[in-house]
Amino acid sequence: MRNRLRVMPRGVTGPEVRFGVPLGALAFALLLGAIILAFAGNDPIEAYRTMFDSSLNGWKAQSRTLALATPLILTGLAAAVAFQMRVYNIGGEGQLYLGAIGASWVGLALPASTPTPLMLSAMLIVGALAGACWALLAAIPKAYFNADEIITTLMLNFIALSLMNWLIFGSRSFWRDPRRPVPGGKRLPESAIMPSISGRLHIGIIIAIVAAIFLWWLLRKTSWGFQIRTIGDSPRAARYAGMSVRRKTMAVLALSGALAAIAGVSEVSGVTKGLEPIALTSNIGFTGIIVAVVARSNPLGVVPVSIFLAAIATSGSRLQSIGIDVEVVFLLQGLIFLTVTAGEFFVTNTVSLAHPDTSATGSPPTSEIKAAI
Amino acid sequence: MNDSVVILSIASAIVASTPILFAALGEIITNRSGVMNLGIEGMMLMGAVIGFWAGNTTGSLIVAIIIGGLGGVALALIHAVLAVTLRVDQTVSGLSLVIVGSGFSSFIGTSGEPSLLSARNGVDVTPLFPSALRDLPAIGPILFGHDLVVYLGVIAVITATYVLNRTAVGLALRAVGEDPASADAAGISVTKMRYIATAIGGFGAGAGGAYLTVAIVGTWQNGLTAGIGWIAVALVILAGWRPWLALIGALAFGGLNGLGFTLQLAQVNVPSDFLKMMPFIAAYLVVIAVSASPNRARRLAAPAALAQPYSREAR
Repeated sequence: MRNRLRVMPRGVTGPEVRFGVPLGALAFALLLGAIILAFAGNDPIEAYRTMFDSSLNGWKAQSRTLALATPLILTGLAAAVAFQMRVYNIGGEGQLYLGAIGASWVGLALPASTPTPLMLSAMLIVGALAGACWALLAAIPKAYFNADEIITTLMLNFIALSLMNWLIFGSRSFWRDPRRPVPGGKRLPESAIMPSISGRLHIGIIIAIVAAIFLWWLLRKTSWGFQIRTIGDSPRAARYAGMSVRRKTMAVLALSGALAAIAGVSEVSGVTKGLEPIALTSNIGFTGIIVAVVARSNPLGVVPVSIFLAAIATSGSRLQSIGIDVEVVFLLQGLIFLTVTAGEFFVTNTVSLAHPDTSATGSPPTSEIKAAI
Repeated sequence: MNDSVVILSIASAIVASTPILFAALGEIITNRSGVMNLGIEGMMLMGAVIGFWAGNTTGSLIVAIIIGGLGGVALALIHAVLAVTLRVDQTVSGLSLVIVGSGFSSFIGTSGEPSLLSARNGVDVTPLFPSALRDLPAIGPILFGHDLVVYLGVIAVITATYVLNRTAVGLALRAVGEDPASADAAGISVTKMRYIATAIGGFGAGAGGAYLTVAIVGTWQNGLTAGIGWIAVALVILAGWRPWLALIGALAFGGLNGLGFTLQLAQVNVPSDFLKMMPFIAAYLVVIAVSASPNRARRLAAPAALAQPYSREAR
């Protein structure tokens, strides 16, 4: 006999659904990953145990994970704030590069004797401004001509990438260290380097967490944030209520660009210590989009999600010691993105088995997905 | 004469435009049914890696293209389930395909025994026409110098135009993309139509990716497409969802891609990073120009129900 699945929209979405569904999706993604690993001839349990040990077991591993989570929190927040307004900033990657270029310029241009707090503040401000301006290149056409921001921000990523590559590999620019045989950036002076907390972990993590709390406050507790979310839910209603959608679009994208750029500042100042294109192009901007989707655009949710994805990423290099390719990291990230996206359906709908004899009576007609169960 | 810079660069632009054309054409068909699939870059990468493997195994260009296309279809069907059946946000679903496609293709490319990363191209790409035609002055290299797939691209444009505008199936597909509720009332299965159109889009992207590895680059590297899929997304908007204009646009982008080669031949020295930027700057400007265009018909060419999930109950 053929049963049908009954799909009904949920009336109220409780916290157990909003948190439970993404968590279930994460577990499902890990299960899929295990199946693929097993098919590729690896032992999935050993793989996951190695991943756990190398990323979350002990302070040394944890600090490495937190170091990688730092830029992810910032690019995740960048994507999340735009998602709140249903604006898609896919340009985190490019805005991050601009932040790195701007910050390293300040760090190299100011005298090395500048006190660290002053130096770091200047780098943060200039980096954030550079990223905000880069985002405005997409925001202004969006606000005035409704030019698709997904495409413009993406194109700007590739342009920014080539620009950064040119500064180091293609020219004798201010950023490039002429003494190094292999092209690379000039090393930042000690005063331009974010103080370390432990090993690779630096104070950028504090900046990132403060940014998350600030953004949560901004979006949830201020009228500006309320307006942003209203525009996201219904631009027409927002316009009717007298909100300036145009100005808000530009403000949100600029803020988003600034956040992604701060990730670049944090990387350049705390990790690479100079403009190093290869180290900076590790998909931090794109991963931020996964972070925002998994966190369902909640700024406070971005922090644990970033740590989780960073844990997967840090463990990648350790996997090679047991004969598994690093690429499995990207595979897992993709699977997580996919299952969480699919999970969104279960956040807004309930699915239950409807027996053929009972489906005739009861609630009003709902959409039914055929399934042979 | 056939060695002149102009002729060689036109011929190389035609080859470089082929992957963009296949991907854009597929996306036009997907979009015309009302489904937005931003995952072209991911589907191309899938097609590129699987097509390269198939080409190495069989030595056949056409098998590589078909298997690569099916790799794209596999990802596209995931999008169809998410976007059409589960009705999730199509933008997010499309982006997830990009990440899945790039992750999965890298995994396949490295994990094989032996790894595809070090593999040499096993496909011998041969021109379709005899050398008597290819050696004709000027038109020889431009019109007759290519392999079968380039001509298949042109045939696909003609077929797509004809099917979309002159057949019952094409009408049904457009109806689903413009006004799914009416199409549904007229007895057309919106879900089925959208699944098929999404799968065709996946095939186009996958086949384009396979052509890129097998016939143009000749090796597999992680993230090999380097933004070509996104250029195809922009091209669809630029072409106003019309196959013929996509052909012209693809040639323009192919020309920009081959610009470095041309300038090298002409001994003009432009930093290669700026050359790499060119197609993206062009796409950026073009998307803004189309949006800002006072020509309303052009701007409103987008299928009315594009990216809107259809639910019978929510009418």
